[in-house]
Order: sequence, then C-alpha cells, then structure tokens
Amino acid sequence: MALLTVENLGIGYQTAKGLLKAVDGVNFTLEPGHSLGLVGESGCGKTTIGMALMGLLPPNGRITEGRIVLDGLEISAMSEDELRKVRWNKVSMIFQAAMNALNPVKRISAQMVEAIQVHRPEVSDEAALTRVEGLFNLVGLPLERLYDFPHQYSGGMKQRAIIAMALALNPKLVIADEPTTALDVIVQDQILKETKELQRQFNIGIIFISHDISIVADVCHQIGVMYAGQLVESGPAEEVFFNSKHPYTQALVSSFPTLAGPKTKLAPIPGEPPNLTGTIPGCRFCDRCPKDTASCKLDHPQWQEVGPGHHVLCDHC
Amino acid sequence: MSERRENKTILQLERVSRFYRTRGNVFRGGGRLVVALNEINLSLRAGEIFGLVGESGSGKTTCGRLIVRLEEADQGRITLNGEDITHLKGKKLREYRRQVQMVFQDPYQSLNPQVTIADSVAEPLITNKVGSPLDHMERVLKVLKTAGLSPAEDYVYRFPHQLSGGQRQRVAIARAIVLEPSLLVADEPTSMLDASYSAQIFEILQGVRDKMGATIMFITHSMASARYLCDRIGVIYRGHLVEQGPAEQVINAPQHPYTKALIDATPKFGRAAEVPTYGTLLAAERPANSSAGCPFFRRCALAERLLCAGTYPPWRQVGPEQVALCHLLEDAAPAVSTG
Repeated sequence: MALLTVENLGIGYQTAKGLLKAVDGVNFTLEPGHSLGLVGESGCGKTTIGMALMGLLPPNGRITEGRIVLDGLEISAMSEDELRKVRWNKVSMIFQAAMNALNPVKRISAQMVEAIQVHRPEVSDEAALTRVEGLFNLVGLPLERLYDFPHQYSGGMKQRAIIAMALALNPKLVIADEPTTALDVIVQDQILKETKELQRQFNIGIIFISHDISIVADVCHQIGVMYAGQLVESGPAEEVFFNSKHPYTQALVSSFPTLAGPKTKLAPIPGEPPNLTGTIPGCRFCDRCPKDTASCKLDHPQWQEVGPGHHVLCDHC
Repeated sequence: MSERRENKTILQLERVSRFYRTRGNVFRGGGRLVVALNEINLSLRAGEIFGLVGESGSGKTTCGRLIVRLEEADQGRITLNGEDITHLKGKKLREYRRQVQMVFQDPYQSLNPQVTIADSVAEPLITNKVGSPLDHMERVLKVLKTAGLSPAEDYVYRFPHQLSGGQRQRVAIARAIVLEPSLLVADEPTSMLDASYSAQIFEILQGVRDKMGATIMFITHSMASARYLCDRIGVIYRGHLVEQGPAEQVINAPQHPYTKALIDATPKFGRAAEVPTYGTLLAAERPANSSAGCPFFRRCALAERLLCAGTYPPWRQVGPEQVALCHLLEDAAPAVSTG
C-alpha cells in the first residue's frame, strides 16, 4: 500500500483580490521508503503542498478539493486535535531556512527534548535525553555540543540539528522544504548524502521540495515538476531529466548550467508565470511555450503516458 | 569567447589584505582580529568576465567591496588602468566610481521601494551630473532595454514591488550600467533567483560585456555558473586565493585540493560519470597548531603533516596561465607571477 496518496488536491488562499488557487488538481503517490522531488519556481505551489501535508496551512488557506491520505489516515479531513497526533509521530518537516527554525534562547538539547515530549508526553526526561543523544550520533553532531545555544552552531550544524529533530519520533514521512538552500556547496553535498543514507537506513518516505533541479536529480527516485499550481510532468528521476517531454521541464533543465558535458547556450524561459487569482481556461504554460497552438489556450490539457510511470500534462507531447 | 580575450590589464590587486576586528565585550576584553582577505594578487584583463568562486565567509564579497571602494584595503595596492585607487578620497573617488559599478546580491534590498524604476535608474546620472535632464529618460530607456526589460516604457513608472525578483535584478543591472562603467562587479547576482531568471541574467551580463565592452568581475559560489559565464576563474578559500586560471582548465583539470573538493560537491545533474571524483576533502577537520601553514591544511585529505602544517605554500605554475597555491604540486615549476 502506498504510504501517501494525494488525489486531485486543490488549495486556495483567500486574498483581497479573491480566491488564489495556489494548487490545482495535483495527484501523486509515494511508496514507503521512496523519495519524491517536487521542483518548480517560486510561487508554483510546492511549499503549499508541503504545508497541507502537515496540516499547517496559514489561516487564509484551505483545501478546496481532493484528499490527502497518509498511511490509511485522511489528513485532509482531520480536526486540529487529530492532526496534532499525526504530526511529528507520522509526518515531520525540515523547514526552509533552518537558521530561523531554532529557538535562539533555548539550548539545542532542551529544544529537542521538548519536541519529543510535546508529542509523546509519557516519555521521561531521561529517556528523551538519551534519544536526543542517539539522534546527535545519527546526524554526525558531536555530543559535547548538546548543551550549546543555536548561535554557537554553524549553518550546517543547525541544519543537522533540524534534521535530527525531524527524525526524533521515527516518522514514516519527512517533508524537506528546501533543506539546503542557505548552505554552501560543500556542506550541502554532505547533508544531501547523509539524508539519503538515513532515508535508506530507516526506510523513510521523503518529499523533497526544491527550486534547484540539480539537487533533486541526484537525490530522488521520483520527480514531479510543478508549474503555476499544477503538476505538469512526473516520473522516474532519470526519465524526467534525460527524456523530459513537457516544454516547461525541458526549459527548466536547459536553463541550468552544468559542470560536465558540452557548454551549450542556456535557454532562459521568456515571460512570467500567470496570475492564479482568476480562472485559466487552457494550458497555464502556453504564454511562454514554444509549442503553443490555438487550441492550447482554450482547452485544459490532458495527462498523457509517455513511458512507464512517466506522465505529462500536455496535448502536444 | 576566449579568442577575443585581450591581454591588457585593467584592474590589478597587489598583495591586498583586509582585516576586521570583532567587537569585544566586558567579559572577553578586546576584539579578535579576523583576516577577511590575505595578500590577494589578482588582475583583470580588459573585456573579460572573471569569476571569483568561494564559499560564504571566504572573502569574495569583501574583495568586490574593496574594488568598488565601499571599503578600503588595510594593506596592498589596487590599481585601475595603472592608477592607484587604494586610498582615493573626495572628488577623485567620485570620478573613480563613475567607472566602476556594482550589482548587489539581493534585488529585494538594493532598490529603494519608494522610488520609480525611472528615477532609480536615472539617479546615478543626476548625482554625477551627466547629461541634461532631457536626455536622462532616453538613456534610462536604452539601458532598460539592454538589461532585457522591454518594452522599457512599460517599466519606467512602476515601483519595485510591482516587479518580480528577476525583473528587479535587471533594474539593478540597468542602474549599474547607466554610467557606462568600464568595470562591473556583480556580487552573486543570481543566488536569490530561480533558474529561469538566472539564465536571463547571465545573458544580460554577456551582452553588457559584448556590446558595452565592460570588464566584469562575477562573484559566485557556483562552479557551474562560473564555467558557463567566465573566461577565467579565481578560487578563494578563507581569504586566500588558492587557484587561478582559464575557466575550462580550472574546472576540467583542477590542481588545488580545495578546488577539487568544490567540484566534488557540485551537483552533477546526472552527469556524474563524466566528472572525476577527487576525494580531497577530509571528513572531519584536523587540528592545526599554528596558523603559519597552508590555509586549507585542516580540511585537506592529502596534506603532509610537517610540510603543510608549518609553512605557507608557494605558488606553482600548473598549466598555461594556471597557478595554484599548494606544497604538493612538486612537479610544477614555481609560478613567475600570481597576478
């Protein structure tokens, strides 16, 4: 059975200009122990999906349609009290900007003990501290730094502490929202490798949210490419990158400079993503698309299967 | 692009150092001296794009700020076209800044939110009393077009909040080139932007070089962007320049262990098989007793205890125009000049 099933998910934000449909008609599943990379530019709805999976949408955001089912439990229909039991026990999150995710006036150990005891009140102080020590070993933090304050840590160490906290209660699913964006390349590389190793060791499902395809390409089994609130292409990582079909994925891949291979001219994507407050009748990418035809603007594109497990939301692929 | 590279030096840094003193307090007493840049030798050739690559805290931004004279070097000499600009003041400094401009990292902070795009871009013209107010608008429209904002007329009366990050960065570039500087320092201009916008910024910077003949110093943490955009690359580690050479050579045949570590860490994007793995980075830092040795000693997997810990490494000539600061390149000849 799939660990996570997302069906026809739609999420809207109530704004002064009307309902902004940040996510529209998104479907995907995640098997236990697998990783899915959600990539797309800022504003495409990838963080919104992550927040919805945690039941942490801001007050003006709500799930307008569809369902999220995690491990047999329907997250999208839960009350706040029920959600609190699922959060951190079954699904946890590594937040964007780890620098700001730690409490600056509390020692790291105290924060991690607190995270454990809030969700498992029955755990004693000693047992929680033992668990924290175990987590420190797991993510490669030296034990003598247990009682430090966050400002005494480097960026990479803070990120490791955040990862340790996300793993504290053995969740089945971890949502990593841009976990390495603020880090240097060398630290980023180390953390990505360690995360991959931990995932294999504990058979955790990971949803990796990033704007940087070069990172998810190396880390994830499955890739979902998002554009303007919709998933536009999904499939096995190599398929999506080396055999991309959707014009947006192709543009995204060719706008990244690489270290190896021929030094081809980067192809910037002209234009800007559409405004999501109104209704968009046809394909959302057609204003920027080289394959644009008259019918693209009028009809919703349909999903096409272009390879085993490889799907594209485009009528011309 | 390399075939049109000229050899005329436009900017030269000679043994430039910059120190910061950390703020002391009641308990710790006086501040500690931090070396942000240590005896940097660099030269930029007219019409090239030079990439300065390093991690955060390596001193690459400090280097840029010294060149545009937002800060003053504590030691050493910086010359532009042979003229010493290290300690320029007053009128001379203002004149210098007409020739040397900077594009900052964060386009969300570098534009005044209360000023229209037209006024923002025209401001350097007004402060430097260039041209009449009548032809200001013409020049503003022209540089907005060069910076890829067209139709430029649509943008002039907008405010920064009405633009996307990519568009703001293009305005920041327009503002930097409106005085037609001979040298442009671009400090991580794409690190806050999405990939599709970065590619546009790269294209615009190339255009600024090709059409306006400006020399560009491109400061970045990404080896892949440096490979794409730059003619030559300098790699900087904790204030020390450790390798310098033509971009293709430094990336395909890196010589310094730190350059190799940077290449190891760069995501290969499914092309891992085409790039060798060097494994020059030590998993855990090793302790060092003295600060006299190689700056990379603590993290270098290849370092030899006696040699590397105790003495500062020499510059070696490791390829045509390529130099590296390392003890372990014994086969290579000592470098004639590091500039």
